[in-house]
Formats: sequence, structure tokens, C-alpha cells
Amino acid sequence: MSNKYKILVIEDENNIRNFIETVLSANDYQTLSASTCEQGLLMYASHIPDLVMLDLGLPDRDGIEFIQNIRQTDTTPIIVLSARTGEKDKIEALDLGANDYITKPFGTGELLARVRATLRNNRPGSGSGSLPGEKFTLYDLTIDYDRRIVYMKDEEIKLTQTEYNILALLSYHTGKVMTYASIIKEIWGCSDDGSIKKLQVNMANIRKKLGSKPGDNQYIINELGVGYRMNEENL
Amino acid sequence: MYYNTYMKKHKQLIWDGIFTLVTLLFLFAVNLFIEIVFDTRTLIPMIFVLGVFLVSLKTQGYFWGITASLLSVLAVNYAFTFPYYAFDLISPECIFSAVVMLIVAVMTGTLTTQLKAQEKIKSESEMERMRANLLRAVSHDLRTPLTSIYGSTSAVIENYDTLSKEQNLKLLGDVQKDSQWLIHMVENLLSVTRIDSNKVKVNKTPVVLEELIDSVLVKFKKRCPEQAVIVEIPEQFISIPMDPILIEQVLLNLLENAVFHAKDMTELMLKVDTHESFAVFSVLDNGCGIHPDVKDRLFSGYISRSDTPTDGSRNNMGIGLSVCSTIVNAHGGTIHGENREEGGAIFYFKLKMEDKNE
Repeated sequence: MSNKYKILVIEDENNIRNFIETVLSANDYQTLSASTCEQGLLMYASHIPDLVMLDLGLPDRDGIEFIQNIRQTDTTPIIVLSARTGEKDKIEALDLGANDYITKPFGTGELLARVRATLRNNRPGSGSGSLPGEKFTLYDLTIDYDRRIVYMKDEEIKLTQTEYNILALLSYHTGKVMTYASIIKEIWGCSDDGSIKKLQVNMANIRKKLGSKPGDNQYIINELGVGYRMNEENL
Repeated sequence: MYYNTYMKKHKQLIWDGIFTLVTLLFLFAVNLFIEIVFDTRTLIPMIFVLGVFLVSLKTQGYFWGITASLLSVLAVNYAFTFPYYAFDLISPECIFSAVVMLIVAVMTGTLTTQLKAQEKIKSESEMERMRANLLRAVSHDLRTPLTSIYGSTSAVIENYDTLSKEQNLKLLGDVQKDSQWLIHMVENLLSVTRIDSNKVKVNKTPVVLEELIDSVLVKFKKRCPEQAVIVEIPEQFISIPMDPILIEQVLLNLLENAVFHAKDMTELMLKVDTHESFAVFSVLDNGCGIHPDVKDRLFSGYISRSDTPTDGSRNNMGIGLSVCSTIVNAHGGTIHGENREEGGAIFYFKLKMEDKNE
């Protein structure tokens, strides 16, 4: 019992919290709940959960403050529950260190998939690069990190340096949304007015080389207006 | 935002000033010309009155009209009355003409200001009417799924032990379907609130066409998994400034509309062409086409349930299309719906693409 993952749900709507908790505990997670930011911080400090699910619109304080507070000391993964209308909020939350977001309304399948992906990505040692000899595979795509070569069904794909770097970066963070800003920072170091365009053009080339067509894009998922996400199997 | 309105005001002021100056200089030249060619001065005050009238009509507020009238008086006084090419400001003739010019300027200003106010009221009431229509259509369409959800859940809760597992699941399945429908509906309404009603403007960011279409297709596949879509988009890299969430909503609505309303449809197509500096988005089907009875008010939000075939399928066509139209308008375009010669319907709209040199 004690080695179940502990998930803290901070959400002020009783019904939504109820439903999230039911789904999580039915799937063998241990849940804790809080309905305000203040209470959430207290629960966090006393229980040290493995994952936090956070609604941004809390009655006492903005959920963003919670993220800032936690990120000063901890890297505990945070999934933001967001309302549909605010890409700005999503981007802000992600750039402040939230690991992922789920847009309301969401189904149980999506919820569990995100929780699994986030927990997996945050095992010690993952997400920060590659180990020697490690390879990434997804459907027909294989990335050989040591040799910096990408294969599709055993056939080598010719990528430029930048294209490879972007693809590798997304694959390190499989399942997680990378905002435009965070990709640009990792790849080019600095950003200027043309950065997003540069990234978009590179992504278009990567898609072409991977043979992805609109509506049938099994490797890199577009999060319109936010960023990109490397797909995972069974998501 | 404040900066923008400030700049706008500033720009308007400069433009009005230039207009005033150019008009007066032009009329001054005309007067000189008339004086030389026809050797008469009787027309001169009349032409300046015309100038004052034009300036008051075309500029904002009273300021430029009054400025123009004073300048005209000075000009007449200086160039066209005795003593020539010198000012004589105390003669009763001068003061009288100044008063006349001022009256013309003030009255024209009052009239045009009133006219502009009336136009504003008219467009506001138009907006108000659209909202009322939408509200009416929505509240009507929301009641049905809510009734069904309320009824089904009550049935499950009250008869939990007597109903069989299949019956329970069936009722809960209906609840799920109805809530999904409600979610789509609310998304549509939220889209409308994203558009700032006063400025009827949207937040545009450059969006890659391919990514937009991809996102639309992924969402569409989730909603209507059994419907295949034929996609035709240009090969090259195209970036279009838009609010992606809203345009995505438009395309989804159009595709879904086809699924729900184009009877006997076998082919659904989403096509984007480039035409000069515009990208033309079209959704085509080969179903039953648009019924002539509803053709004129497709986008008005005014199509009630009784207008559409009563096959039991729920529709939000009225709201969906009026939302599409509102969104496209806010992007500076118009949406069109027509029947195709070869059968079926086509809905299309165009958006300006990003400048290639940028």
C-alpha cells in the first residue's frame, strides 16, 4: 500500500475534485485533496506528494503562485488543469515549471494518460538527456542518441543539426508539451522576433522528412498556439 | 491598448489637419485662378463657404471646421478684398463674413456629429439583435440535452438496484453523449466571447497552415471517427495571422455540419488554396445541399429545429454557422455558403496570408 504514487489534487470545484479522485484511486493511486492554494501548500509540505494536479483558478490565490512557490525548492511534477480560453495562462504555467496541462473538459482516459506520462518522465535520471547507448523508439521512428542518427524503419533520415536537436529535445521530454519559448531557448539559446518562425519552418521540414501528413501525425503533436509534444504510444 | 487608441486619435488629428490645409490651399488656388481668368470676385466667398462645409463634413468634431472658417475669412480679407494683400480686420464687412462662415462651420459640425452618433447607435442595435438571436437559439437548444441528462441520472439514482447493468450503462451512455454535445455548444459560445465586441477584433498570431489543419483533423477524428476527410492543402510553407483556436472552431463546425446535415454524403473535403495574398478555406460535401428555405438566413442564428428534417438527430447548425460567421467577420472576412453544381454544398472563406518578405 505504501508504495503507491501519492497525488495531490488542488481544485476548488467539489464535483470535479470528486471525479478526479475517484478515477485516480480506482486506478491505484493514493489521492490527497485541497480546495484552496493555502491548503494545497500545507498539504504539500506535510505529505510531499509525487505529483500535483493544480487548477489555476483558485479562490484565495492564483495557481501560478503555487507553481512559483514549489519550484523554488522542488521539482515535483505539476499538471495544470486549465480552462479552454487561456493559452496565455497555459504558456505562463509551463514556462514557470509546470510539467503539463489538461484542458477542461477532459475525459478519464486523457487524465490517466497524462498522469502516467508525467510520472514516467520524472523518474530520476529521465528527462535531462540521454544515457550512453540509449535509443528512443516510437512506432517506426528510432533515434540513436550516441551517433546522432534518426531512422525510419531502419532507413536513415537526413536531418540538419538544428532539426536533429529539436527532435532529440522533444524525445527527451516525450509526452510533455514544450512551449515555443522553451524549445527556442534550448536550441538557439537566445530568442528574437524571427525565432518562432525559424522553429516553425524547421518543424515543417521535420514533419516532411518523417512523412507526417495533416491529420496523420503520429510522432509530433501540435499544440496550437502553445508548442509541440512528442507523442507516446498508447496515449 | 491605450497606446493604440492614443495613436489612432493622434493619427486622425494629423489626417484631419492635412485635409483642412489641402482643401483650403486648393480652393485658394481656384479663387486666384477665377480672379485672373474671369476677372470677378463675386464667387470667392461662396467657394470658401463650400470649403468650410467640406472640412466640417469630413473631419472629427468642431475644431477643424472652425479653424477652416477663420482661415477662410483671413484669406478673403487678405487676398480678395480691398486693401489687396494686406489685412484689414476691423471693417464691418470682414466681421460679418467671419460670423457667417462660423455659423456654417458650427451647423455642419453639429449635423455630421449627429449623423455619426446615429450610425453608431444603428450598428450597436444590430450587434444587440445578433446577440439576442444567439441567446434565443442557445437557450432553446440547451434545454433538450439538459432535460435528458437530468432524467437519465435521476432514473439511475432512484432505480439503481432494479435496473439491469445494461440499462444503467445505456442511460449513463446517453448522459455522456448529451454532455459531450453540451461541451461543443459551450465551446462555440466561448469562442464568441473571445471576440472583443466593442472593437470586433481578434488576437492574431502567425499560424502555420499545416499545423492548423492537422489540429483540426485530429479533433474531428475524435468527434466523428467514422467520417473520412479528403484534405487538399498547398505544399509550401504558409503562415497566416489568426486566432488559431477560433479558426479551428470554424473549420470544425463546418465539417460537423456536413456530417449532421448533408444527407447521403459520401465525400467530405477540406481544401485550402492560395489566391494572390489570400488563403481560401473551403469545406465541400456531396450531400443533399442547402435547402432553399434556409439559404438566406444560414448565418443568422435563426434556423430553428422546425426548419430542419426531424430525424431525431440533434443539431446546432444555427448557432454553429452564426458563430462561424462572427469569427470570420472578426478576422476581416466573410463566410459564404452555396450549393455546388455537381450536388452538395460548399462553405468557404478567405484569410490574408503573412507577407512573404517579413
